Amino acid sequence: MAACMSENGSERKLEFFLKVPFPSEREATIALQSLSPDPEPRKGGITKNLDLSGQTLSVRWTADEARILRVSVSSFLDHLSLVMETMDAFGPPVSQ
Amino acid sequence: MTVVIGFEGSANKIGVGIIRDGEVLSNPRRTYITPPGQGFLPGETAKHHRSVILTVLQEALDEAGLKAADIDCVAYTKGPGMGAPLVTVAIVARTVAQLWGKPLLGVNHCVGHIEMGRLITNAQNPTVLYVSGGNTQVIAYSEHRYRIFGETIDIAVGNCLDRFARVIKISNDPSPGYNIEQMAKKGTKYIELPYTVKGMDVSFSGILSYIEDAAHKLLSTGQCMPEDLCFSLQETLFAMLVEITERAMAHCGSQEVLIVGGVGCNLRLQEMMGVMCKERSARLFATDERFCIDNGAMIAQAGWEMFRSGHVTELSDSWITQRYRTDEVEVTWRD
Repeated sequence: MAACMSENGSERKLEFFLKVPFPSEREATIALQSLSPDPEPRKGGITKNLDLSGQTLSVRWTADEARILRVSVSSFLDHLSLVMETMDAFGPPVSQ
Repeated sequence: MTVVIGFEGSANKIGVGIIRDGEVLSNPRRTYITPPGQGFLPGETAKHHRSVILTVLQEALDEAGLKAADIDCVAYTKGPGMGAPLVTVAIVARTVAQLWGKPLLGVNHCVGHIEMGRLITNAQNPTVLYVSGGNTQVIAYSEHRYRIFGETIDIAVGNCLDRFARVIKISNDPSPGYNIEQMAKKGTKYIELPYTVKGMDVSFSGILSYIEDAAHKLLSTGQCMPEDLCFSLQETLFAMLVEITERAMAHCGSQEVLIVGGVGCNLRLQEMMGVMCKERSARLFATDERFCIDNGAMIAQAGWEMFRSGHVTELSDSWITQRYRTDEVEVTWRD
């Protein structure tokens, strides 16, 4: 898991990147589809984009304020770990 | 043969249930109970559900004696309810649906209660009173929709009861409503409270403000006991519910009443509704606490009906929603 944060002074936006490796592309896809449907609870001040690249799920946030960013990232990590625990307990995925 | 697993967690109960062609194979549930004087907040409720959901899921499979391969469809509560807990449960449902290669079905929580009530009681075409901590609606089926004939214009009746329980610090174990019911049995003095029926609808927030205020005044001066307040509140709230149910029955020419939702467990409410039904030569149907209180099997049952009539929820459409009207669902499984 790699993350970096940069501040773009002229746009006054905070950014956060997350890269989550999975054992297989199938599992990364499952995680993506479990975590993407629900909208962010907070309508303004934050954007979150999920993307898939092979076995890696990547997430990119932009936010106006640090506390909004922190809440969203924290919440996402909770949900991500729930997906992983579920996959551990009830996986592996059946063959398609 | 169709086997559906249902996930429910829109309020403080988290349940997973499995239904096979009208038979409840398992229905384990956990309740997040807060200390007296406190209600349950979304973040903490979600945390509670998250900590037990996988255990409850395993219990549901074990009790039913089934493996993932035996399941035909994964149903979950799409809404209405509290956001954070709904998301937690939906995430697990989506994940297992994909792991097991099964279709997903987003269910309306209110429709879940109705379908479970119909299954357990075999009521044919009742006027439904749906009363819980989060909802208060009078519903009748007509032309592929569960139509709302009357409802609360502010808070749910269960919410009024729960918040009153906090004022007088009644225990939330097993539920505040249950404890109010037990205390009400010992009440001897009737305290007059506002009675706020508005045509087909009801209002409870004014009664709540009034009784919160009255409780402080009357209890501190020893003019009444908490039991008397519990008794008076129940009598007032339930009489209002009976009135709007009767009004809907008169409109529909209905001879059956079905009470669903957590407040439906209350025996005094059932008794008062029974008196009205007897006067109209109508039949009253109610279920016990296994099924009136939020549970996974009711979601499985609604899911079973929906699945068999061809509904499926695409993953991209499986977002949860805090607001979801009962009449938004197209009831394709009934004539």
